[in-house]
Amino acid sequence: MTLPLALGTSSAHRLTAKRLLASTSCPRRFSTAQNEPHEECDVVIVGGGPAGLTLASALGSSRIASQNLRVTLVEGGDLSKVKQWSPPSGTYSNRVSSLTNASQTFLKAIGAWTHVDTHRTAPIEEMQVWDGVSDARITFSASEIGLERPQDGMARLTENFNLQRGLLRHLEHLPGVRLIERTKVKSIIRDAEDQGGWPLVHLDNGRVLRARLLVGADGFNSPVRSYAQIPSFGWTYETQGIVATMVHPPRGPFQGPNTTAYQRFLPTGPIAFLPLSPTVSSLVWSTRPRIASALTAFEPGVLASMINAAFRLPEISLRYLYNRIIEAHSTGTPLTHAELQQEILWREQSHAIDANSAYASAIVNVIGDAGVPAADSESVPPLVTSLQPGTVATFPLRFSHTESYIGEGQGSRTVLVGDAAHIVHPLAGQGLNMGLADVECLTRCIENALEQGGDVGSYTALLPYARERYFENHTLMAAIDKVHKLYTTTFEPIVWTRTVGVEVLNELDSVKTALMMTAGARDHKINESAVGWNLAAKGVESLAAGVNAARVVGGGIREMIGTGLQEVLKATSARPRSERD
Amino acid sequence: MRVSNVIRTLQRQLHSPASRGTINASEIAHFSRLSSQWWDEQGEFAFLHRMNPVRVEFIKNKLLEVSREGGEEGMPSSTVLRDLDVLDVGCGGGLLSESLARLGANTLGIDASESNVKIATLHASADPKLRNLTYINAPAESLLDSPKRYDVVCSMEVLEHVDNPASFLSTCAELVKPGGHLFLSTISRTPLAYFLTIFLAEDILRKVSPGTHTYSKFITPTELISFFQKYRSSDSNAVDPRYLEHVTLPKAWISPNASPASPPRTEAEVRGLIYHPLRGQWLLAPRDAWAATDANYIFWVRKPSQ
Repeated sequence: MTLPLALGTSSAHRLTAKRLLASTSCPRRFSTAQNEPHEECDVVIVGGGPAGLTLASALGSSRIASQNLRVTLVEGGDLSKVKQWSPPSGTYSNRVSSLTNASQTFLKAIGAWTHVDTHRTAPIEEMQVWDGVSDARITFSASEIGLERPQDGMARLTENFNLQRGLLRHLEHLPGVRLIERTKVKSIIRDAEDQGGWPLVHLDNGRVLRARLLVGADGFNSPVRSYAQIPSFGWTYETQGIVATMVHPPRGPFQGPNTTAYQRFLPTGPIAFLPLSPTVSSLVWSTRPRIASALTAFEPGVLASMINAAFRLPEISLRYLYNRIIEAHSTGTPLTHAELQQEILWREQSHAIDANSAYASAIVNVIGDAGVPAADSESVPPLVTSLQPGTVATFPLRFSHTESYIGEGQGSRTVLVGDAAHIVHPLAGQGLNMGLADVECLTRCIENALEQGGDVGSYTALLPYARERYFENHTLMAAIDKVHKLYTTTFEPIVWTRTVGVEVLNELDSVKTALMMTAGARDHKINESAVGWNLAAKGVESLAAGVNAARVVGGGIREMIGTGLQEVLKATSARPRSERD
Repeated sequence: MRVSNVIRTLQRQLHSPASRGTINASEIAHFSRLSSQWWDEQGEFAFLHRMNPVRVEFIKNKLLEVSREGGEEGMPSSTVLRDLDVLDVGCGGGLLSESLARLGANTLGIDASESNVKIATLHASADPKLRNLTYINAPAESLLDSPKRYDVVCSMEVLEHVDNPASFLSTCAELVKPGGHLFLSTISRTPLAYFLTIFLAEDILRKVSPGTHTYSKFITPTELISFFQKYRSSDSNAVDPRYLEHVTLPKAWISPNASPASPPRTEAEVRGLIYHPLRGQWLLAPRDAWAATDANYIFWVRKPSQ
């Protein structure tokens, strides 16, 4: 049966739509509400990002789901460009995620991981996290957390495009899933009550999809969330994220491979160095908006020098350098790479940093560096020599969590996954992993519902998803948010406790716990619980250390931390713009 | 279509007054008042919505177990109900009927409340996949006049609402094909059941409308088992008791000499249904778990093949 369709204006649209129509035998009905032809779909996923594509892959490769469900994914962008993505060798995209072992295990289980080019990924075998003020440091490695295969690392740095391309390639083999790309959702309207009130997704090419279950994988400004009237709460951090692809010489023969991730918690926000290949790594630098715009205003060498300095110089000198570039930026005076290197050299000399020390970056001597490296060379990342052109980008950082993951009442038959449900500070690298864990859980709930003859769009079928994921995400997000606030505060008592290293160790420990609990692969149940016990034991140790320190510094310190934290919370709850809508 | 034949037969019969009625008029009125809420998954019937997956799981597991005993190996659990004729007695809003139909069973839902059947029909009509599902508004007894019998007869959370349970059970049992299955879920008559289902759910938490349950109507698992230890399929009722020893009577559904506390696993089974408040889920209690069947429970019995 062919029905006249108001197709998009471009011939490409028309072709796509015709091909898609021909390849499927969607039953069509006339809804009484709209009196327009619509296609019956079981699952409509809005959004072709990693979370949406993974959900489509997971449902398409699940036996019971593919037998019972017709899955349609709608994406406004051009997915064929992603599918044909082929970057010149040696160059890397600036959008990178660290996929935990749990995420990788899931991607392997659904058969998508074999389509990801693992040569372009890199394992993180070790992490070094330290405080920018006190220099208190925690190092942890894959070998110490009881992973079955430590050489695979705690997580794997993967370009988002690489993952998306792999998922799209995987979807080519899954006939139960159809993709509608370059097509936007125009509106979502609730079907008539006597038709069950199912969501009708109107596309900008005139087609209407009637969804048993509508999945919002459509990011922060989720149209599905607006339709479902799910409020979200959150705030923007007064922080911008800078990303870039960094080029650096390989590690020398007396050093380990470039598989260590570095993160330094500066009072302006954390800076992270994430290895991608022996000579390329990815930057995620969260800092104040003024600093971010100054850092990215000059020639790329300025940012490269500042990255090197940010991992090395004492905090007081960094503040000086920020002021220097902000001043140059605001007055419009040019600042060259060479000038900045002179400034850095001067700061190094004033801190008595030896030119051969790993903490020196002013005089870059990397050619023929085959000699014995400085003893502390592995405490800091390799020296960045240049930034891959076109990879510097900034974006605002925010915290956002919806009040619910499933729509109720007028917004029933909707569910949110990934960034549509939660946005978190990137300091722990958990954003995408949380989204993939959502998808895994939702897939499981859908399978369970199908197994018992349930309606996959019903509240009852989706409730276990919300129960499991909301709590887990909230815990992780709260921990990450708390760490961010603790490190970026200038409130004196907290800064002071940080300098004496009491709270720092505990807080670094909670980052560590969050990171490592998710590092364990799901199919290694025993190992995972072993990790938990080890961490618990370490937590107690550092707590004990903290208590000892507190006793030394004076009895009042505990209370002071308590009130300090309350102050932070008060300050942050008063300041942020609430984003309820 | 066989189902539509049944309906036509029924519609003719509906005009004649039901002689063997077990229906309680005030119960029907009570549920008719609530009928619009059947599909509010967070409302009055939230507990039933959440109980549904466990009921289906039990039904599937028993059918699978029996098919495996019959030597049919390797049947995937999702196809065990496919193409079976299933009757849901007291279907209410159709919670169970829809699930059974989705699993491929030719499902007939029957309910004595007209508004329930209307709601159930309307709800199912919105779902394009429920083509093998029919509802009728009639007392279960009216089906006896048609020769149609069912592979599976279910009656969930109904037994505690009928006036004459023995007669109701006989009706349900009659409607099962030889070798077919009867599933019942209900509430036991114990202090615990009173506390949970009436005192807590109705009076204190108000999760369930007061007046939904009547304690004296609750039936214990032992009573159900004893009933089916005596119950024989209907043709035996035609035999003059004086000639009983000369005819081969149909077998009792459950061996009369078995202990009512533990019937043979191939004939009947009782499992507790327990609500886990933290998970917000109903769980199927393990077999023989202590006191598990003291409140909500589900019961399975199989009609002998001859």
